[in-house]
Amino acid sequence: MERELITSEYSYREVKIEETKIKTFSKDDRMNRSFRVYDGGYAGIQFVQGSADEDTCYKKAQDNLILKRPYKFPLETGVRHRDKTEREYSDKELMEIAREAVTYLEKNYPDFIFGGEVSAVREVKSMSNSLGLDYSNTDGMLNIGISFKHKDSKDITDGWFSIGQRNFDFKKFTDMADNYLSNFTNMVELPEELIIQRQYYGFLAKLDECLNAENLALGTSLLTGMIGEKVFADSFSLTHDVSDKETWCTPFFDGEGVVQPDDKRIYIKNGVLISGYADKFTANKYGVPHTGSAGFGMTDVPYNGNVNFRIERSGKTVKELLDGRLSVVPIMAAGGGFNDKGEYVTPVQTALLSDGERFLGRLPEFAIKGNMFDMFGKNFIGVGSDDPIFNDKQIIVKMDYSK
Amino acid sequence: MYVFPKGLYADIRIEKTETAAYMVHNGEVKQNSETSVTGAMIRVYDGKMWYTSVTNELNAVQSELDSLAAIAEPNDDIANDPVVKMFEVNKDKVLHFDGENDVRKITRQQREDLVSHYISACVDKTIPEMKQWYAGYSQAHVIKEFYSSKGAEIIQDYQQCGVWVFFDFVIGEIKTTGGRNFRGMFFDKLFGHEQEIIDRRERYLDYAKNAVDVTPGDYVCVLSPAVTGMFTHESFGHKSEADFMLNDKTLQEEWVMGKKVGSELVSICDSGDMFPHRGYIAYDDEGTAPKETWLIKNGVLTGRLHDANSASVLGEELTGNARAEDFGYVPMVRMTNTYMQAGESTPEEIIAGVDDGIYVYNVNYGTGQGTFTMQPNCCYRIRNGKLAEPLRVNVVTGTVFQTLFDIDAVGNDLEFCDLSTCGKNGQSMPVSDGGPTIRVRKLTIN
Repeated sequence: MERELITSEYSYREVKIEETKIKTFSKDDRMNRSFRVYDGGYAGIQFVQGSADEDTCYKKAQDNLILKRPYKFPLETGVRHRDKTEREYSDKELMEIAREAVTYLEKNYPDFIFGGEVSAVREVKSMSNSLGLDYSNTDGMLNIGISFKHKDSKDITDGWFSIGQRNFDFKKFTDMADNYLSNFTNMVELPEELIIQRQYYGFLAKLDECLNAENLALGTSLLTGMIGEKVFADSFSLTHDVSDKETWCTPFFDGEGVVQPDDKRIYIKNGVLISGYADKFTANKYGVPHTGSAGFGMTDVPYNGNVNFRIERSGKTVKELLDGRLSVVPIMAAGGGFNDKGEYVTPVQTALLSDGERFLGRLPEFAIKGNMFDMFGKNFIGVGSDDPIFNDKQIIVKMDYSK
Repeated sequence: MYVFPKGLYADIRIEKTETAAYMVHNGEVKQNSETSVTGAMIRVYDGKMWYTSVTNELNAVQSELDSLAAIAEPNDDIANDPVVKMFEVNKDKVLHFDGENDVRKITRQQREDLVSHYISACVDKTIPEMKQWYAGYSQAHVIKEFYSSKGAEIIQDYQQCGVWVFFDFVIGEIKTTGGRNFRGMFFDKLFGHEQEIIDRRERYLDYAKNAVDVTPGDYVCVLSPAVTGMFTHESFGHKSEADFMLNDKTLQEEWVMGKKVGSELVSICDSGDMFPHRGYIAYDDEGTAPKETWLIKNGVLTGRLHDANSASVLGEELTGNARAEDFGYVPMVRMTNTYMQAGESTPEEIIAGVDDGIYVYNVNYGTGQGTFTMQPNCCYRIRNGKLAEPLRVNVVTGTVFQTLFDIDAVGNDLEFCDLSTCGKNGQSMPVSDGGPTIRVRKLTIN
């Protein structure tokens, strides 16, 4: 009988801003542990939050073998510890940053009402087992998220922006605030050609679904039967990447202790679909390679779904990709999304016009539409090599106006 | 008990949550688990700021309380603080589920048998278009304690259990998902829904085979009771949450009591005191008893939802709508059971009044800014007063400032949907939505 332990230690501090005033200081320290025993092709699992005696927890996990949760795969081995934290913030420092942020916003933008939070998080995820596996991933960041509303606006909120950094640079926060707010009341017209510039996480949800190896095998993916085929643009490559500096609190190992070479695995290369993602169970069932994609199911056996997709950056800056054209940046686009046909339609409640780096003015409400194959195919312009506006990677893509 | 610090208001919420889940996918058991989590949130208020701490260790509650008090600024007049004065002081024990109906008494075998029964009755593996199916069960039981420095002492419980069966049909490389989810407070109510699931399966199979793409535009729309429930929640319910308008003169003037905000046919109510609907609470997470709050009566704004802070700022009464997802979160203003009152028309009469429009049968989710949205998963064309071909619609949008005026028919078929979970500022909250069939003269369809 083998033993395994997955631990997630989470420390969170938050200063809450309401109505442009500091209202709440909160702290939350928690530890989640998943005790696992493996015997005869089955796993027994016991989840615990808070303190508890380890031997007692392993005994309960052993008792849970009676549930016959299947797990017949060899456990992983390896030793590695990665600490990506750059600095830690005391509660006092956090409060001072929050006060400074509120003062800056109140002084420079008195026509707006602000909410949001200044938060510091530190997370240690670790995994160990009786075969000698010993992994840990430590990370931490400070984040300021600000929602804003003009005092004359009849809506609940007009927009929001956020900036997260391991080593916080206040100047980057004020630059971001100035960019969002200084031209916000300058109403401008929608450009004839609609080029969307935004962080791309929302666009990748459909690829998460389509690249699941089980969906590919069962025919419930729009990419079923297309492995080895050209599905997107030459310039579009998609990688599971837990190495890059922009990945927050993402461990280098998956829920089965699998580590990728260089912490990366490519799924779409130059537009060609290489493979779907699969944990060991899915890979075994459908006869495909396992890709280290097991999620951290703390209460049960691993599940398929631990991917951290990144679209490969181009060699050009956002401005170079735009090549003199203007972009539209949706900052509030709630509702809609991709449908089962891969069509994307979303109403945009708030958007700003941009030259790629600076906002020029606010646009009227509109709706955008596109299609997954076009958005990552003929209409895909690229991902910038730089991080303007969001202090983060972003996609530039042509889309169409909808009703 | 706890020793509360002087010169400060403080409250303590302790929760013990026990859950179980069982899920089968294409014949394989994908989940079979039980969990138990205990924790507490301690809050301290000095009249200027709140200080909160979360812990799983109940023997550390007093020390956490003391440490928060040490960083707050004691205020000799805290009892006269406008927010503190609002807090009710209730001493009560409301345990609905400490008898035979306690879901913690349901055995693993009972849970598995329930799911197995629905699989046998509802999953027809001979349907060639069915590529995946899921069936499952989940339950959660919570005991909540609340203690405040003003003297409140409340113990209450809450539970939910549910069973579901869903199918993925693939036709022409396009996947369509359909099925049903039954959820409530009592295990024995989860039996006997076989035909409803089979009917839903057949409806979505037909939809997968025959749905055509809608032409985007503005349409007369008829909403089913389930969709009206979400419409009510998203279009107006979120604007009734008073925390968005504090110290905001524009919004206070926009949403002034007595203002006409919709058609005379429209009346909307929120009440946490509707056992056993999903949004029921014996007390909210500030210890306030829930009230019935009419938000709109005959098209006129008559009320809004409050926690102690918003009620004190706006000079209105508490409504019992301060809710937190669990002990890890601070309470804020949330809906409970929100519904549009029934009218007099039959659903058939409402549809018969449409020459060319869209019937929205069911939706996945919605959002509730000034422009609200709903993402349908099943719609039909209405032609000459009758339902016609199924339609694929991506998103329905409207604006709260206009749409409530555009309601020109309200049905007599009020239904509650006890399945909804509302998201706001990172917290998920069980709520119930209700409504009858309604007709809206114009909604934007994409």
